[in-house]
Amino acid sequence: MKKRGQGMATIMFGFGYGEGFPDHSIVSIEFEDESLLIRTAAADVGQGVLTVITQIAAEILKIDPDLIKISQGDTHLTKNSGSTSATRQTFFTGNAVKQAAEELLGKIYHYASLEFRSNHPELIVKDGHIFRHDDPENKLSYWQLAEIVSQKGEELKSEASFFPATDAPDAATGQADNVYVAYTFMTQKVEVEVDTVTGEVEVIEVNTAMDLGKAINPRNVEGQIEGGTVQGIGMALMEDQVIQNGITLNPDLTGYLVPTAMDSPHFKTSLIENEDADGPFGAKGVGEPSMIAAAPAVANAIHDAIGVRFYELPITPDKIKKALKDKIF
Amino acid sequence: MSKRIIGKDFKKVDARDKVTGKALYTRDIYFDDMLYMKVKRAPFPHAYLRKLNTDKAESLAGVVKIITAEDYPDLNKYGLIYKDQPVLIGIGEKMHYMGDPLAIVIAETEETAKRACELIEVEVEELEVVTDPLQALKKDAPVIHEELSGLLTDRLDKKLNPANILCDHYLEKGNVEEGFARADKIFEREYKTQHIDQLPLQSEAGVGLYDEDTGTVKIWAATQWLHDTQADVAQSLGLPKEKIRIIQPTIGGAFGKKEDISVHIHLALAILATKRPVKFSYTRKGSMITQSKRHPLIIRHKTGVANDGFLTAWQTEVIGDVGAYASSSPAVVHKGLYHCTGPYNVANVRGVSYAVYTNNTFTGAMRGFGTAQMAFSYDSQMDLMAAELGIDPAHFRLQNAYEIGSSTPNGQILTRSVNVRKTIKEVLAMTEGGK
Amino acid sequence: MKITLTVNDEKREVETSPTTRLLDILRDDLHFTGTKEGCGKGECGACTVIMNGKLVSSCLVLALQADGAEILTIEGLSKGDQLHPVQEAYIETGAVQCGFCTPGMILASKSLLDRIPDPDEQQIKRGLSGNICRCTGYTKIIEAVKLSARKLAGKGGEEDE
Repeated sequence: MKKRGQGMATIMFGFGYGEGFPDHSIVSIEFEDESLLIRTAAADVGQGVLTVITQIAAEILKIDPDLIKISQGDTHLTKNSGSTSATRQTFFTGNAVKQAAEELLGKIYHYASLEFRSNHPELIVKDGHIFRHDDPENKLSYWQLAEIVSQKGEELKSEASFFPATDAPDAATGQADNVYVAYTFMTQKVEVEVDTVTGEVEVIEVNTAMDLGKAINPRNVEGQIEGGTVQGIGMALMEDQVIQNGITLNPDLTGYLVPTAMDSPHFKTSLIENEDADGPFGAKGVGEPSMIAAAPAVANAIHDAIGVRFYELPITPDKIKKALKDKIF
Repeated sequence: MSKRIIGKDFKKVDARDKVTGKALYTRDIYFDDMLYMKVKRAPFPHAYLRKLNTDKAESLAGVVKIITAEDYPDLNKYGLIYKDQPVLIGIGEKMHYMGDPLAIVIAETEETAKRACELIEVEVEELEVVTDPLQALKKDAPVIHEELSGLLTDRLDKKLNPANILCDHYLEKGNVEEGFARADKIFEREYKTQHIDQLPLQSEAGVGLYDEDTGTVKIWAATQWLHDTQADVAQSLGLPKEKIRIIQPTIGGAFGKKEDISVHIHLALAILATKRPVKFSYTRKGSMITQSKRHPLIIRHKTGVANDGFLTAWQTEVIGDVGAYASSSPAVVHKGLYHCTGPYNVANVRGVSYAVYTNNTFTGAMRGFGTAQMAFSYDSQMDLMAAELGIDPAHFRLQNAYEIGSSTPNGQILTRSVNVRKTIKEVLAMTEGGK
Repeated sequence: MKITLTVNDEKREVETSPTTRLLDILRDDLHFTGTKEGCGKGECGACTVIMNGKLVSSCLVLALQADGAEILTIEGLSKGDQLHPVQEAYIETGAVQCGFCTPGMILASKSLLDRIPDPDEQQIKRGLSGNICRCTGYTKIIEAVKLSARKLAGKGGEEDE
């Protein structure tokens, strides 16, 4: 028999290293040939930080994002941007890029105002050019301006570091004023179908609302939520690296099951954007929070479906069959 | 909305290279005259290394060099937070898990390096294996690391075995005794989670060469934190940081698994020893056995709630399986603890967490970093309390959820961007107010 | 031994051993590095290529078996700068994250659409079930296949969404 159930979970995640640990990102921006070069060591592991910072720089500097290049991470050519972990890159490197872009924009106004013999409010930037509002035909591209600046023996470039402080918790009580830079919240409600004969669980639908401040790139955020949730479903239902007496018994993908396309549920996602956090444009981090509600939501839905609560993960078909058998007898 | 690009579904900047196969991941980088390497690993999870005979392996055609601890006696231990992981196990030293490295084999082909590894003869003195953190906490348990951890606090429970504990953390907020006294119902439950492999589809790999002009080891390898990896490789080899250059190719997923050192130090040694380009690729099996896992946590909650549905007290104990080496454990296990109540208001909180060494594969960072396990436990706990109280689970959450001015288990007062209640209401609206 | 194979419409000769994997021939000898190794055991699909019109895990095909075969790798899918509609669809739907599964996943998608031009959701899921993706949760990949089907049927692109 197949039984349906619904379950929800609401989670929080304090992001950044926090706890008084030094946590920062350094970024620089310069003009290079026909492009704008952002130097950062931020690792894009697939989550899309390179896309996010391209959007931020293009937004602030009002240039075609296709003109933006990001240097390859290299210890000898890029400064420390901190790790791609702790859900921190959009917040930390995103803020650093925003600051560096704003500083560069300030310099563009400064040097252009000398060229145009005007004050800043009379100047307009558009599509990588700057001009007087009353003389739009007579414009300078950023690259032309960079050349003029370099002829003066100065440089049109910028560097910024985003380095917010947190507090180390007291060793005896864990208490402190400011442990994490911010918290992301998410609620998920899932519907599952439990096959009481085979013990198999199918997650049919996942409804998500995430409090993320602002989505710099909504589709990428959806991708994080969908990917994270399916990892959480793996944790809830199948993934189990069995280590017995120190020996890993299933070091391959035949023995260690992860979700496939067959396990992918239907998603409905709502992004709550109050633009009220200290990240770029009010954003908060989403990478980790996107995966952590799925396991409790699925466990709660299984309880709703068959009346059995599981206290150990993963909730495998064998455990479900055994629990249902124990329940009957 | 006046932003042009922010908030838009802007196409990923690296997608075109990835759909055409042009994106270069570590193993896609080749050099002329390139060598391949493999590492001989421990044959037993807890044992003293007594003999290591590389003669047969060295005589295999195509083997260029075999490196053991004898060749580099001054290597420093490494680790993300607490440096307890050896680069190579020497004779008379102890191996702590199946991933411990005994020898580095460098050969003309990968296949030769692999065969040579199999020809290395190892003699060990087996010790009792500790695989369960609860066993490791007992006073009579075998000691895994000979040196006591430098991270222990004065508060550590005297009944436990400090020898196998990496670190202990505590929460004390309000007065839990008073909170439980005010509770109408008290629930005590134990939750357990499993070892999980992060399983990025790309397993660990590195390729590098020696730059004669600058005397620099140049390595292309994925890492989640270039500069941290550089610093750890340099300190472990006793070299200045600028002599280790790490370049980031395209990364095939990470999820925490690529925070730790994997190929990097061994690869640097092989490059320094041969002064030729070398490539080192982990197999999937090697990756699963030797590199970090998500922590199995044992989580014990005792929670008090009044009949009106408000939480009065929350007490949590967490025991985390560190495995053989610290990796991110000094941060993961108590991050779980610090999230023990989830996003729910509780004035009185007490908690303790222990990160405990075993002879299992070491555990480290994985997406969620202790909070994924904790969320399973606290939101199961919330659900069962709602059921026992006969309150709708969504309304029970809504009633207790944080708002501006709420205080976390760490006593951090939340002053902005706290829209957790809105997420609950929104999900209810999305599912048309269903339960 | 010497084997001959046609890769992306180009005839290639390779000096190899009979037990060398097709995956290694493609990557190490011919430098078609778009084909990835994820597990080496035919479990993950990252090394998927199309051989004689059929999807294969190139880590399970030996040189001997590949002799005389016609192979399509990810590099052969686009024509110059012109992307194949499946590649376009993957970009447009945001189906690419780390990208390591992407070449195999795209070839599996193409192969599915060659057999079933207008697949339903279950057919798509089954068609891709041999390819593991750890990043996306498959949702946007499934969307990409649906969009590819519309593109291949000449019904255009994004405006249909």
